Amino acid sequence: MASLGAVAAPSRSRRESVAQAIILSGPAIFLAAFCIMPLVLLVLLSVAHHDEGTLWAPAFELTQYRQLAEPTFLRVIGFSLFLAATSAVATLTIAFPAAYFISRMRRRAQVAWLVFILGALSLSEVLIVFAVQVLLSTSGVLVKTLVDLGVMASAHSLYPNFGAVLTCLVYLVLPYVVLFLYPAVSRLDEEMPQAAATMGASPIRTFFLVTMPLMRGPLVSAAALVVIFTISSYLTPLVLGRPETWTVGVHLSNTAMEAGDVPLAAAQAVLLVAAIIGLLALVRWIGRDRSARA
Amino acid sequence: MSRNLISTGAQRLFMGLVAAFIATPLVVVAGVSFNATRRMSFPPRAFSLTWYREFFTDADWMASLRATLTISACAALLAVIVALPIAYAVWRYRSKVSQAMAGVGASLFLLPGVVVAVMFSALWGVTGHIGRIENVIVSHAAVFLGIPLSLLAVGFESIDRGLLEAARTMGAGETDAFRMVVRPAMTPYIVCALAYVFVLSMNEYLIAYMVAGFTIQTLPIRIFTNMRAGYEPTMCVAAVLFMVVGFCVFGALAAIGDLPRLMGRQRPLHD
Repeated sequence: MASLGAVAAPSRSRRESVAQAIILSGPAIFLAAFCIMPLVLLVLLSVAHHDEGTLWAPAFELTQYRQLAEPTFLRVIGFSLFLAATSAVATLTIAFPAAYFISRMRRRAQVAWLVFILGALSLSEVLIVFAVQVLLSTSGVLVKTLVDLGVMASAHSLYPNFGAVLTCLVYLVLPYVVLFLYPAVSRLDEEMPQAAATMGASPIRTFFLVTMPLMRGPLVSAAALVVIFTISSYLTPLVLGRPETWTVGVHLSNTAMEAGDVPLAAAQAVLLVAAIIGLLALVRWIGRDRSARA
Repeated sequence: MSRNLISTGAQRLFMGLVAAFIATPLVVVAGVSFNATRRMSFPPRAFSLTWYREFFTDADWMASLRATLTISACAALLAVIVALPIAYAVWRYRSKVSQAMAGVGASLFLLPGVVVAVMFSALWGVTGHIGRIENVIVSHAAVFLGIPLSLLAVGFESIDRGLLEAARTMGAGETDAFRMVVRPAMTPYIVCALAYVFVLSMNEYLIAYMVAGFTIQTLPIRIFTNMRAGYEPTMCVAAVLFMVVGFCVFGALAAIGDLPRLMGRQRPLHD
């Protein structure tokens, strides 16, 4: 019996690995061609030679990377990081309590909220930017209301400026962050907050003193998500902001599409990807450090 | 007790404000689309469907709508076709190869849209295959691959392995077990993955623009081009169309599948 099993096992595992190879061959080709190849190409482009006529020629030079250290680009990075930090704080302030409250609702209300948020999440950035533009324009409802209330002296457009960019970015990333936090808050242990409540802490106090520290890991990851989204945002700063409120994302696509300097755009992209990998590693490290100490 | 009441009230107020924040721009655009005048005024002065008629009889808008729907449907199908074998292999064989493939497949979804757009425009440029509709389809499928990978993984994990074992013990072959247990269990998850990628692809602007924007005007590209050129009421109609499709698709998903679970809730939710 035992020997029979020993003989059967390798043949079964061989059959399984053949089956697996057959199943996975198609997806493997797709991944190699359309996920790995573009990444490799991006790195190759970033060290290629920029040529006005043919856009780029294969080479190995670090000209583009040297250009990244120019003060104008460093200022763009600095501003993008500031914008990213501001929108991360603003988004989490809204998204975390929202996700928490949603996860405590009854099933019907919860499903309705999820549909609402998924619907908002799927809406094109083009659409949201356009809607915000309509809302903030001189003839828009918001300006009229503010003038009627006497808050604004005369009707003028509420964009382009930093506030409009920030509001629109928060709007765009909010659904992602709520859905990102949703699994974590729905897993949250009820016992600790209940114990705090029994001992007389108000629900709001319990929320800030007990619930929030328990969520440190997911909150840090969510903040990273907002930072990644913000520094690479394109349409929002382009339409609702001025050139000084343009992010790395806007400069990157302008370099590629308008200046036609594909190698420089590739180098900017490589820098962005490297920064994101670094950020995610940092987030992971923070998360692990906390759980090890707890 | 009264303190509890206050905090419930505060919670209601907060969620009301969040709902208002999310709904306001959408309500404004929808309202403007029903305006009788060409002006961009809200609330609408007089109700009319003029711009809807204009939108649906305009050859350019219709060409964009067709292109957008073609791209989204094909991208959704392609993404699910690629993701399904990977997710299946991860669940069935638990092999390192399949797990690595799932990781690679999900990676583009984490990268910024601008980076992905530059990457794909370079890829299609190098291959000399420029400005074609299939460029957008393949690029979208690759970018959104992470969605079906994670949704289908949730689906496979929900299948009772005992049930599968029972089917085998009762003499069902691999194919029969697959047909009787795996396929029915997976159908809602596949539908969800298709719908999710469809909606995201339909709304995507930057990649479509950088990869083939000069030859194929998808709806988001056309809306953006119009927006830069000046206000046009038909844009609002296109915008309303997007909202209706998005909310209908996710509403339908909530009706056929367990949405809280799909979104990652692990504790069962009663009532």
